[in-house]
Amino acid sequence: MTASGQEPDPPVDDLALRFCAGDEVALRAAYDRYGRAVLHLATSMLANRSDAEDVTQATFVAAWLGRETFDPAKGSLIGWLLGIGRRKVIDRMRAAARETRVVETVRQLPEPAQTGPDPDRVVDRLVVADELARLPDDQRRMLELAFYDDLTHQQIATVTGVPLGTVKSHIRRGMASLKRRWEVDGAAPGPRPAGLSGAR
Amino acid sequence: MQHLDHDRLVFLALGESEAANGESTHLDTCAHCRLEMETLQQVAGLGAETQGLADLPDPPEHVWQGITAEIRAAEGLPSLTHRQQVDDRSAGATPPPGPAGTGTPPGPAGTGTAGRSRGRRRGGWSRWAATAATAAAAAAIGVLGTVAVLGSDEPTPAPTQAVVASAPLAAYGSTPPTAEGDARVFQNGQLHLHVANLPRVPGYYEVWLINPTTMQMFSVGTLGGGSDALLPLPPNVDLRSYSVVDVSAEQYDNKPAHSGDSLLRGTLTG
Repeated sequence: MTASGQEPDPPVDDLALRFCAGDEVALRAAYDRYGRAVLHLATSMLANRSDAEDVTQATFVAAWLGRETFDPAKGSLIGWLLGIGRRKVIDRMRAAARETRVVETVRQLPEPAQTGPDPDRVVDRLVVADELARLPDDQRRMLELAFYDDLTHQQIATVTGVPLGTVKSHIRRGMASLKRRWEVDGAAPGPRPAGLSGAR
Repeated sequence: MQHLDHDRLVFLALGESEAANGESTHLDTCAHCRLEMETLQQVAGLGAETQGLADLPDPPEHVWQGITAEIRAAEGLPSLTHRQQVDDRSAGATPPPGPAGTGTPPGPAGTGTAGRSRGRRRGGWSRWAATAATAAAAAAIGVLGTVAVLGSDEPTPAPTQAVVASAPLAAYGSTPPTAEGDARVFQNGQLHLHVANLPRVPGYYEVWLINPTTMQMFSVGTLGGGSDALLPLPPNVDLRSYSVVDVSAEQYDNKPAHSGDSLLRGTLTG
């Protein structure tokens, strides 16, 4: 027995490959690692908590039964799972909308979250969060200071005591990794004409 | 045309400074730099929205139960092409309910077969693999010896694996009381472990057999991420003495001894 499944940060490709190969242990590992993200996507989009849980369940079932269609060369496992989850969320929202039209008099039904966040945006966010969590500690820490605390490079250098040049290089590399990952795994397919689509 | 420095684009994308005159002019005319900067801006925007996403709550346990139940239903009986699976599935007379309750994962790459294929590799990956090989061989010899030859030269273990001992595992010490598990020892010398609701630990879970009289113990192996594991026991182990099954939380600290942090325990009977 090796402890390979327990490493704090095992190589993602290994999990994806084992998942594809039908290793049930990998299914559980994928669920442990990405179930939270799928559930978050679903709860962000669906007002009803149990709908969101159903979607999470359906996503993993569909992914497992359709694992032969997953190509690790084309993207990450989490990206693929979120893609499935996104479709299931949209299906569920459509069904809920139909139902609401039929049962308009049931006032206490929560509104389906049609005006909620854009599912693509939620997926993109989760993909970027996943990549951020994978970055080397230094890069992640500095990006978090820039993103969450809105610190400038100079302020980050002051706060962390790391030389400005090093801060720059960590941030540049971290940003490059996030960008690459987003381009591969983000919700909208293909290269995106950023800024042209009014996505800002 | 001289493109803008990439560091500078990152600066601009993070909103740290306004584009200087020359830079604006360049960005207006250079699609390459503009696209890069706008992409970086989007990434920065998404990055700022990731706060809190690293600590999302776990889905409730019933979601996982639902997943496994649905998969079982969809897949029907597991593939029978792998003899080992057939053996394992018929092992427990009554497979406990629930996701992992069928004893071994039905997939061809499940723990049972993994252990077996490792065992086949001579000079395998670990001493536990070697033990697996020994245990399997011992089991095979035992079967041939008692049942005589069944007209097959396949080194298959007994067609049905009787459970020779079992133990319910309960949360130990300060472990949350929802943690639980089951241990079963099959006649072929394998320990099947099913666990649920183990607290997350920074390291990994290790399985031990303990002699409660002397408190001597040995490690049986580690638990992977799944809720089930099939671990080979040494062929000559005396389960009447080493009757306590213990699951501990271990650190990656290069210390092979028990950490003292027991999560689950149970006493084998049978």
